[in-house]
Amino acid sequence: MVAQIISIDPVTRIEGHLRIDVEIEGGKVKDAWSSGTMFRGFEMLLKGKHPFDAQQVTERICGVCPLSHGTAASYNLDDALGVELPDNARLIRNLCLGANFIQSHVLHFYHLAALDYVDVTAVLKYSGNDPSLLLLKNKISNLADKNDLYPFMPRYDSGDYVSDPELATTLVGHYVQALEMRKKAHEMLSIFYGRAPSFVGTIPGGVTQPPTLSNILAFRSRLSELRRWIDNVYIQDILTVAGVSAYKPFMTAGDSGGNYLAYGVFDEDQKGTKKFIPRGVIFGNDVMNVKPMDETKLTESVAHSWYKDECEGLHPKEGKTEPEVGKKDAYSFLKAPRYEGKPMEVGPLSRMLVKKPDMLVKLATDLGLLSMRPLKFGILPRHAARAIECKIIADEMDKWLDQLKPGEPIWDKKGIPNEAHGRGLVEAPRGALGHWIHIDGKKIANYQCIVPTTWNASPRDKNGQRGPIETALLGIPVTDPDNPINVVRCVRSFDPCLACAIHIIHPEHNGVKAFRVV
Amino acid sequence: MTGKLVTRRQFLKHAGATAALLGLSEAMIPQIARALEAMVQGKPPIIWIQGQSCSGCSVSLLNSNYPMIAEVVLDKLSIRYHPTIMASAGYKAIEAIEDSKKENKGKYVLVVEGPVPKNEGGEYCTFGLGNGKKELMGNTVPDDKPIIEWMHELVPDAAAVMAVGNCASFGGIPAANASVTGATAVKDIVSEIDKKKPVVNVGGCPAHPDWTIGSALEALLAISGQGKLDLDSYNRSRTFFGKLIHENCERRAAFDAGLFLEDWNNQNPDLKLCLFKMGCKGPVTYADCPTRRWNSQVNWCVGANAPCHGCAEPTFYKDLSPLYEPLPNVDIVGISPTTDTLGWIAAGATAVGIGAHYLYKQLGQKTESKEGGE
Repeated sequence: MVAQIISIDPVTRIEGHLRIDVEIEGGKVKDAWSSGTMFRGFEMLLKGKHPFDAQQVTERICGVCPLSHGTAASYNLDDALGVELPDNARLIRNLCLGANFIQSHVLHFYHLAALDYVDVTAVLKYSGNDPSLLLLKNKISNLADKNDLYPFMPRYDSGDYVSDPELATTLVGHYVQALEMRKKAHEMLSIFYGRAPSFVGTIPGGVTQPPTLSNILAFRSRLSELRRWIDNVYIQDILTVAGVSAYKPFMTAGDSGGNYLAYGVFDEDQKGTKKFIPRGVIFGNDVMNVKPMDETKLTESVAHSWYKDECEGLHPKEGKTEPEVGKKDAYSFLKAPRYEGKPMEVGPLSRMLVKKPDMLVKLATDLGLLSMRPLKFGILPRHAARAIECKIIADEMDKWLDQLKPGEPIWDKKGIPNEAHGRGLVEAPRGALGHWIHIDGKKIANYQCIVPTTWNASPRDKNGQRGPIETALLGIPVTDPDNPINVVRCVRSFDPCLACAIHIIHPEHNGVKAFRVV
Repeated sequence: MTGKLVTRRQFLKHAGATAALLGLSEAMIPQIARALEAMVQGKPPIIWIQGQSCSGCSVSLLNSNYPMIAEVVLDKLSIRYHPTIMASAGYKAIEAIEDSKKENKGKYVLVVEGPVPKNEGGEYCTFGLGNGKKELMGNTVPDDKPIIEWMHELVPDAAAVMAVGNCASFGGIPAANASVTGATAVKDIVSEIDKKKPVVNVGGCPAHPDWTIGSALEALLAISGQGKLDLDSYNRSRTFFGKLIHENCERRAAFDAGLFLEDWNNQNPDLKLCLFKMGCKGPVTYADCPTRRWNSQVNWCVGANAPCHGCAEPTFYKDLSPLYEPLPNVDIVGISPTTDTLGWIAAGATAVGIGAHYLYKQLGQKTESKEGGE
């Protein structure tokens, strides 16, 4: 059989502009290329600005996880200013970041991923008598009569959508419920942070809204409802989808190569030395051997990115970004971050493999994933890790609420130093996120962010090593090149966010003069 | 259960929600219900594309309550293309745009989120495959299709164009880099293609879901001949962007009394202090946030003890920085366009309360700029 390249653009139901090219041979993916196709330029905007602006500007890098950028920027500034963060501020930051993890994970599974697995048209055959599902059936059948099933149709054909009317209708009903649940998570964080998605409640040195008995109660009532729903619906639906026999190959298909990186998140003490989700590195799927993360081992390769070769191999902190589009063998606006020279998957699967919560270990054991050699974690474990993480964060949030102390400080007021460096490492729902700042003359001299999707969707590096998504695609079955459903299933399991991934610009040169697209 | 898509009763319910959304009197409900019913004979087709966006306005739209987003998708609008929610991908997604364009010539609303980059043939933002070829590590593959090309294909046959969010409406944060990418507000692109095409801007970073849906309803009512678009000089609906935040702020009394927050640890719950000294841009920002509030009315920026950053203003972010420093040269006397003699006197009293530092600024005299956070 002759090899054939198929180009998928747009990859929808992700954030941003992503193109995937795959070479198909013998009904399987033989090679893959991941290209980011939108460029704005964010750090340039910050040069010369008041350092406090960084959090408001960087949270606008991404509308799905502004909380992560705003929080990373706040810790970054805290570090540069020498802030001693009050406990109340640390807890409120944890609570609001946690609320956004919930909204992002729920949004991802139900509204971004689920349509890859559930046949919406099966609702037309629903024969049960649940009133809300009958109403849904009625609406969808009316739309079908008018031949207007947008945005649920058209879609890629697949022989293995969940099409049992009872099950599919229940899942579509949960899709609608999930819209309300993620909205509730946004309401919850707006109690302390003013509004969502973009928010105002965290500032360098602390937060703006003090905890009171009434706002703690308002937060807890929504959290309780969300926790019940996560336990009774989200977790159960993941188990249901994972139990579909047609999807069994996806337990291991989509393995990204076995290297995992987590910066850790949710500080449990003032210095952030103890984190609810810990920091760590795993190589070669050796999950029992979690190594400490050493920040000096981060580098970025640009061999196949549209940037000049002299930017090769630098630590992101002193990273150069001099674009050169049209460069031979380059194909993406994303650089290729590496740790000890290796591509690393970031995100919920990485974090949960580092933390190993009981629920994950039990599920992996039940599914037989831990007895396989070599160990492989594919598309479904990635979804399951996300759901389990959502549950354990939501449960922990209830404890953080208990620790808030109304009346105690929320802010450590510090002036801007004349010259300082700072860094803020947190986790976004989709993976490790780092911000670095250099303040000079009380202004921002340099600001750099390394974001999750740059790790996951990175192109090849100078040694020709593929990025995690490119590796995960190898071997993915594509029986019909007109309907590469499994390719997008695999890509979406990483929850890519391209707006985050491509924001880089050279702060010294204040622009991309050499930039040219041919 | 009737076979009809939406019953008469549901229409009245929707119309009630719509009236609430637009801040209209209940007397308008039957009229709106008629208009909605006329529209929904075929759900109005929407093609929603993304330029240099962050998807924040789409995520914000998911927080809609009147109507809820599920109703928007199932009952109100036919979302033919929206990259974040649609089932299809690749060529099938592109076919959805092309089919909708053919079937609904002159009827669809084109929604654009994020600005459109013009430099280098528009290659800074692409989606879908072009007609040409390019090389990919030794392989020949189809090239990329810039969003500017999509604009030229989709604008001529659109009934109207909506620019959602500050970036699409005014260039926003990406336009601060316009010298490189050529990031351009949607309205400017549209006027190069068709000067007469109606463009509705929805400001905000992000846009409030009510602003997006309300502006869409106003546009659809106007298209169907049921009303007239009432837009300001920035092409925004006056319903949402007609009032100064400062005029309607729940902490206005604190401003008038000269009671300003200067330390976030000041936690007297009975005394809500004005955020002016912390950089509040409410005095120069037109939006209905104080009354509409955000996230199911749970809160808004000032309600969280934080300054308004002016995200709905065309000048956001660049001209409103530094965000945490008091507005320079605020003409407190002339703060409201509707200030009358009474307001003049009140403002005079306020100016005394603010103290000499701000009077200096009013008089245009420079004072030492203070350190951040003070």
